[in-house]
Amino acid sequence: MISLHLQNITVEYGDNRVIDDITADLTGGEMTAVIGRNGVGKTTLIKAVSDLTKHSGKVTLTDGDRVLRPKNEISYVPQLGSLNTKLTVFEMVLLGLVDTLRWHVTGEQLEKVSNVLSQLRLTGISKQPFNTLSGGQKQLVCMAQSLISNPKVLLLDEPTSALDLRHQLIVMDLAQKYTEETGAVTIFVVHDLMLASRYGKKLLLLHQGKIKAFDSAENVMKPELLQSVYGVELSIEKTKDGYFSVVPIKPYAHR
Amino acid sequence: MEDNRPDLIYKSINRKRIIILLASIIAALAALITDLCVGSSGMGIGEIISILLAGPHGGDVGTLIIWSIRLPMTLTCVFVGASLALAGLQVQTITNNPLASPYTLGISAGASFGAAISITMGLSIAGVQWIGTASMAFIFAIGVSLAIFFLGRAKGMNTSTLILTGIIMNFFFTALQQYLQYTASAEVAQIISNWSFGNLSRASWASVWVSAVIFIIGFLIMSRLTWKLTALTAGEERAKSLGINVERLRIIVFIVCALLIAGAVGFIGTVAFVGLVAPHCARMLVGEDQRFLTPVTTILGSLIMLVASTVAKLMSNGSMLPVGIITSIVGVPFLFVLLMREGKVR
Repeated sequence: MISLHLQNITVEYGDNRVIDDITADLTGGEMTAVIGRNGVGKTTLIKAVSDLTKHSGKVTLTDGDRVLRPKNEISYVPQLGSLNTKLTVFEMVLLGLVDTLRWHVTGEQLEKVSNVLSQLRLTGISKQPFNTLSGGQKQLVCMAQSLISNPKVLLLDEPTSALDLRHQLIVMDLAQKYTEETGAVTIFVVHDLMLASRYGKKLLLLHQGKIKAFDSAENVMKPELLQSVYGVELSIEKTKDGYFSVVPIKPYAHR
Repeated sequence: MEDNRPDLIYKSINRKRIIILLASIIAALAALITDLCVGSSGMGIGEIISILLAGPHGGDVGTLIIWSIRLPMTLTCVFVGASLALAGLQVQTITNNPLASPYTLGISAGASFGAAISITMGLSIAGVQWIGTASMAFIFAIGVSLAIFFLGRAKGMNTSTLILTGIIMNFFFTALQQYLQYTASAEVAQIISNWSFGNLSRASWASVWVSAVIFIIGFLIMSRLTWKLTALTAGEERAKSLGINVERLRIIVFIVCALLIAGAVGFIGTVAFVGLVAPHCARMLVGEDQRFLTPVTTILGSLIMLVASTVAKLMSNGSMLPVGIITSIVGVPFLFVLLMREGKVR
């Protein structure tokens, strides 16, 4: 069983403490959604976990009794942004193996790329330049680039932003399938509370750089808790399918 | 169905890239021979080949022309063109900006001013003047490169920041160079003036060996970084997430580029646009994979310089028109088209 232990993680930009002493244990085979208002440090937290931002505190990754080196096992998928490379889909995914690539790409490496493309149903667009793809296809290619190295920890920074409803579900289903099949720890940053509660086994609610709540969707999707954090009057209901439906009513005047 | 396998498609694309690489080598060799054959002495190709095969020790005029004048000029073209193209490609990669090049960023202008100072002061190191000139060119090239690096880190490497920086650097160093020219003796002013055009008449065996060694060192260092540089074209965030130390990579590449530019500018002066045109043409031919993009860019850089040199010789009928004038005439419309295309993208 894979476990990720975050111990006293703190990130400071000058005098500004963006992440303040966060401690949490995350279990393999489960997805955790990081939620909270804009600028609360959601992206900074997962960047600290992946060692892409300077931080204090400790990140420990274990597989049963074995302690693993997080650097080799964590894969961070940044926001799509304005990435516009002309590399082909095949080349983009191949770059996921950049540490092991030499001038000659081996048959085994080529096979790995083909397999991932096939699993993600991207085979038909393998020679297409990345900059000609739709947003949904781009996000899937970026996920494929991360998944090819079989990371034990998958960190997704707003994987569904700018995607249509269908692609939101395709991308999140893919992350869920990978997490369940490999027993990896997956953390995803998301603004959409419905997606967070649907895919997150646990929700980590950040407020002013600290953990306001870290619990199951049932315990976090409470109007009084979320209203106090987001500063918005909310209506939260459960649909007949068992998913949470969130409707923002109006912002609080004093916020 | 077999034909649709992504790995087979990838292999087939790479086979085409290897053919393009070989074709560009053949084209550059043809341009090299043509450049050797063009000159005011009217020697035929058969005569030139027999002089080359006979070696440099014959005492006749033909041997002197080929071995002491034309061959050093042609080989200087090869290595200077390759160095400028390689530097252009990699500054475009590390700034993630298609309009970046040694010339448009003002690195060449800095190097040229460094060389001008050296010429004015008559600076020589270990009694050799070209070492002094090349060293000063390097110091100024590295100074401008580091200024761009820190500015980029503070303000972001976007197109407008970089191009405005290039304009400022070009104005600044051109003004300083003009001041040097104004205050220098007529003879020194003439040498500095020639420098700013990129003139192959200064080519010698020293320029061949030095530019060749610098190019080979630069090429080998870049070759070790091919996958990291390819990953950087997929975006800085993504490269970092793949475990690449982007800051370190940028510093290494800027230093190597400054060395390549100094090696080129230190001998023949400022040659504009080779570093802009060659990488773009190479990208259109072989895509972004640096295993192919790096060699094809350098070969196209040599090819452009050789063609410019041949045209310069044909146009001037005896005397040598500065090669930098020819590359600028081709390069300015190319830059204009790129700017228009960038504007559309944004």
